[in-house]
Amino acid sequence: MFSTVLSASLQGMQAEFIHVEADVGNGLPFFHMVGHLASEVKESAERVRTAVKNSGIQIPPRKVVINLSPANVRKRGAAFDLPIAAAVLAANGVISQKTLVNVLIIGELSLDGGVKKVPGILPILLEAKEHGCVRCMIPKENEQEGRSITGMEVIGVSKLTELIEVAKKIEQEGEEIVWKNHKVSGERNIEVEDRCQGSEDFSEIKGQTFVKRAAEIAVAGEHNLLLIGPPGSGKTMVAKRIPTIFPPLSMEECIEISKVYSVAGFLDEKQPLILARPFRAVHHTVTKAALVGGGLHPVPGELSLSHGGCLFLDEAAEFRKDVLEALREPLEEQKIHIVRNGGSYIFPADTIVVAAMNPCPCGQFPDYNRCRCSEQEIRNYLGRISGPLLDRIDLCVDVPKVRYESLIQTDEEETSDIIRARVCAAREIQKKRYEGQKKQTNGRVSVKTLMEHCELDPEGKEKMKRSFETLQLTARSYYKVLRVARTIADLEGSEKIESTHLDEALIYRTMDQKYWR
Amino acid sequence: MEKQRENQIEQDELFRFWFAGLKGIGNREKIQLTKEFPQKKTLYYIEETALKKRLKEKWTEGKAETITQIIQEGKRRWSKEIVAEWQKKGIALVTYEQEKYPDRLRNISSPPYALYVMGKLPEKGRRTAAIVGARNCTYYGETYARKIGKILSEAGISVISGMARGIDAAGQRGAIHGSGGTFGILGSGVDICYPKENRGLYEDLKKYGGILSEQQPGSPPLAQYFPARNRLISGLADVVIIIEARERSGSLITADMALEQGKDVYALPGSVDSQLSRGCNRLIKQGAGIILSPEELLEELNICGNFVKNLTETKIILETEQNIVYSCLDLNPKSIGQILAETKLSIPELMRQLVSLEMNGKIKEISKGYYVRGNW
Repeated sequence: MFSTVLSASLQGMQAEFIHVEADVGNGLPFFHMVGHLASEVKESAERVRTAVKNSGIQIPPRKVVINLSPANVRKRGAAFDLPIAAAVLAANGVISQKTLVNVLIIGELSLDGGVKKVPGILPILLEAKEHGCVRCMIPKENEQEGRSITGMEVIGVSKLTELIEVAKKIEQEGEEIVWKNHKVSGERNIEVEDRCQGSEDFSEIKGQTFVKRAAEIAVAGEHNLLLIGPPGSGKTMVAKRIPTIFPPLSMEECIEISKVYSVAGFLDEKQPLILARPFRAVHHTVTKAALVGGGLHPVPGELSLSHGGCLFLDEAAEFRKDVLEALREPLEEQKIHIVRNGGSYIFPADTIVVAAMNPCPCGQFPDYNRCRCSEQEIRNYLGRISGPLLDRIDLCVDVPKVRYESLIQTDEEETSDIIRARVCAAREIQKKRYEGQKKQTNGRVSVKTLMEHCELDPEGKEKMKRSFETLQLTARSYYKVLRVARTIADLEGSEKIESTHLDEALIYRTMDQKYWR
Repeated sequence: MEKQRENQIEQDELFRFWFAGLKGIGNREKIQLTKEFPQKKTLYYIEETALKKRLKEKWTEGKAETITQIIQEGKRRWSKEIVAEWQKKGIALVTYEQEKYPDRLRNISSPPYALYVMGKLPEKGRRTAAIVGARNCTYYGETYARKIGKILSEAGISVISGMARGIDAAGQRGAIHGSGGTFGILGSGVDICYPKENRGLYEDLKKYGGILSEQQPGSPPLAQYFPARNRLISGLADVVIIIEARERSGSLITADMALEQGKDVYALPGSVDSQLSRGCNRLIKQGAGIILSPEELLEELNICGNFVKNLTETKIILETEQNIVYSCLDLNPKSIGQILAETKLSIPELMRQLVSLEMNGKIKEISKGYYVRGNW
């Protein structure tokens, strides 16, 4: 008898739909699997046979042929165990083929017949829904993750026998009722958290007015930020609080982010969705593959895991040069292409990069009494942040040592909520201005679009002309100053870029001319 | 008569290059040999036995033997081509017997027999001053080195220094376009730019001043050459000016040499807190001249007063807020937060003033968010 079951696997972030076909016929007892299978899929045969046996089902000794189609796609991962088992059971008449029509089945089997969780459920189900397949049976542990997609009918199974029970129930009671029941009983109300995880708040940072302001501008216009300061001045502390002033997550963004985490296998029953903006701090010993994603079968790197949030590169000058260089293209395009001979993979990477570094190898420059670094050493140290990467950083601010007076001051500092309100307002203005554009923030729009909205008054024009000459701006830094000035104007709700906005943008400009190159 | 002698010496140049390059014979012996053999050509073509005989009249047998050996060995190894190559690069040779050999060096305890020169030599009769100091200097030191270098050179004094990082280079950069000119004394061969980052200054010195070295062209900058180089710096200078020096630093050794050679030493005082001014402050305590301002230094050196008047800093007239910010700054870097706390201006106002002061070149941002007063 022949049966077929729908399943899927992941290629990067894309789902590939696979039909699992089983045929049971006369011949020598044999379990044969074909369809361009990786070794973990071939091993599936043993798991399936044993799991079926241990679930108390006797399968007559006949010739079984399994085919995973389309045959030209390489099949990988352990998620085919459950669909293979279902197909075998259907082919043997244990369950009815009818009950499996247009049902997506995914799951790994253990020898005792238990169903184990698999990564990537979220992107697979999202794509399945797009293709009109709205019913699925997935591991119990992935059930919550699957349920976060509205309109998807999900049954979670923890054992192979449960799958059989459900199938029998469908046969008896009719599919509509069973699926609907499951849907209603398991419906979960998901609310996006209003705040980033953790209890950090900007009000805990005393002083550092300029740094906080730079962080606010960075988030408001999606500008990448470079913090320069001596050790212990609070660079990490500031960076950690940056996610707290991001605008709230929308449900779409939340799914977008969760998709990446799903592919990376970071979602579980307790945390079926990523409900807060990610903050990823990367250690400077990170490899290129871990940062931007990679591997033989590419998985998302830290850059993609911080999609929609903030990527923090502490001690940026200590990173290997080629690792930092790898950030260039993704920072420009907000996504990363990885090409392997199996195909090309795209992971999202729309993140605000916050880099922190010391002003010199010992960290004390320009305190001449403490700093013992020679000019050459300082130049070499700063030179480790390559120019092309620096080009993608719009804002640069010094994080000075905290003075005792500001440590003990009791003045109330602004809370993250207050700052966030301003950020949100500025983002709204930008959204309206760049309506219809793909990118809708000052830090991300094309230069052409930017220039359409950066009309300067004569005073401002004069100022930019003079600063171009005397402060040795390059063409690129000129646009960076304008981008930042536009964001500052938006933060104040000003239609035009005023002279004061330019001043502030100039103060926060990156020092590529003086230090770098 | 005198002219004829000069002429002879010029014709002798190839052989002087040969003689100057002999390794193993000290400066003193070379100068003594020069008295014996004013023409190096003679020395080159003299028979070995005859040479030994003449040397024995002067020195002990052993010494005469060694020197003869070295001269014979030197003849065998000698190639004219390399001299042609050096000359093509513009490297000239000045030796003790020549009229143009700097008189100041004749008076030090161990004058070099030969100097290799690119560019000019210090003019005879022109006053000279050495500016030396720490390689790893502060912005304060660098600024004053440049100011003093400029003011001295404009007053017609030649500035001598070692083209090292930091103070040396700053002093020479300041002096490069003045009428006094500036001369770099290297510890390597004159055709080797060390340190490399001073390439620009090196080229300027070749054009507008001069580069001198005792070492043969092509010699690498070895540590052992530098103390000898320092004696030339102080030897070529009438006064030695120390800008910044840590305690136990090389610049203080130069100061000691200057005192031994009977030169005046001036030091730029600095903050008691500053490590880099300790050496200078101690020199002042020990009796070195104190530099209260570049202009007063000129007066002390008895340079005519006109200059002084011209060079006194014109008072900068600024608007009130700008003045507040400007006067808050000095040559010690201050962070923007510090300036904010001290001036008590509003943030937008402060930013406006900082940007406009920086655009006018009145102040300078030397590290992100750290400002100092700019060069005048």
